Amino acid sequence: MREIVLTVILCTAVMAVKAQYPGYKLLADPSAFQTQFATASQKTNTIKSDFIQEKNLSLLAEKIVSKGKFWFRKENAIRMEYTQPFQYLMVINGSNVYIKDSQKENKISTKSNKLFQQINKIIIDCVNGRALQGNDFKVRIFEGSTAYLAELSPVDKNLKTFFSHVNMIIEKKDYAVSRIEMHEPSGDDTSLQFVNRQFNTPLADALFAIR
Amino acid sequence: MRCLLYVSCWLVCAACSSAYKKLQRTEAGTACVAAFKPSFTRALYNAQVNVTGKHLSGLLLIKTMPDSSVRVVFSSEAGFTFFDFEWNKHAFKVHYIFSQMDKKPVIRTLRKDFELVLMRHLDAPGAYTLKEDETYYRVFPNGKDFYYYITDSACANLLQMERGSRKKKVVEAVMLAGNDGMPDSIGIKHHNFSFDIGLKRLYDIER
Repeated sequence: MREIVLTVILCTAVMAVKAQYPGYKLLADPSAFQTQFATASQKTNTIKSDFIQEKNLSLLAEKIVSKGKFWFRKENAIRMEYTQPFQYLMVINGSNVYIKDSQKENKISTKSNKLFQQINKIIIDCVNGRALQGNDFKVRIFEGSTAYLAELSPVDKNLKTFFSHVNMIIEKKDYAVSRIEMHEPSGDDTSLQFVNRQFNTPLADALFAIR
Repeated sequence: MRCLLYVSCWLVCAACSSAYKKLQRTEAGTACVAAFKPSFTRALYNAQVNVTGKHLSGLLLIKTMPDSSVRVVFSSEAGFTFFDFEWNKHAFKVHYIFSQMDKKPVIRTLRKDFELVLMRHLDAPGAYTLKEDETYYRVFPNGKDFYYYITDSACANLLQMERGSRKKKVVEAVMLAGNDGMPDSIGIKHHNFSFDIGLKRLYDIER
């Protein structure tokens, strides 16, 4: 009887995992993936890309789409420039953040705010791949036909109030992150799809300057 | 010195004086205000919030659901949700609020601000009208709060919206009409503390 119950539980668990991400299956041993991904990340010094952001409001059956341009430079510099349907600029350079909206500009040092520091780190770590190696998340890797899906569940209770989990879609062909999905505890999610990506092109210092 | 003291006292008293003291009661009706009630099928706004010297921007979505409830969702440009409020026929509901904003006075203030703009109290019993010259104040009481919709004498134009007590103005709001029955811009300004909200309509690129 115990075996039957155990089998049912195991089958249900397997089905739940399969149903969680259609087209993907859980990797029991992700070490080969981790090595390949770390190698590819090491070789990526800059990324220049367009992005499409989609905020899905689940209960409202509503989607808010915005577009813009994205730049990343190793180790920890990011510039995100929203161009449609609003203008908004965010530059992260180390521990400094610069934000310019349609009305004001603001400089923030994340050193003074632990939560801001954590969110800053997540953004950077998701782009440069360190999020898969650190202790901030419990990581599960799923394999699909053309991509891997890395599911990151935050360990820190403060971060859990922001994200239930963050998913990264990593292309098999080049081990580059093509999409980041941030799932909120409310059931809403925001995805960032990177398109027209260019790797290791020279990027001017001015893009990441915070004056 | 004594003169300065008198002037200071006068200024303080003037500041404390009733915003609605000079108004005269009139028989003019209040039903005409319903014509100004915005019909938010679905509108997305760029939101600028200034509160006690701090600035916050984001996106505010106002949507009427199939069951006629109205949802107001405020999120950052990057997608993080700050709050998600619902007004249905009978009640107000907080679906979600970011932990650092989850304080009763914050929720109460936001709720009342949006109720002023959404015109949620137009069916209030005991509504009446006050006037000063050609400006008419259509007043809708709700508990200790009074919602004032200020129009011209013909009730053809909505000049301003206010919330306050019987005597004192607490918050004022203005709305500029859009082409489709939904406001193109909305401004909300508090008088008892430094807090204002500016909303400018955004037209999405794709949905």
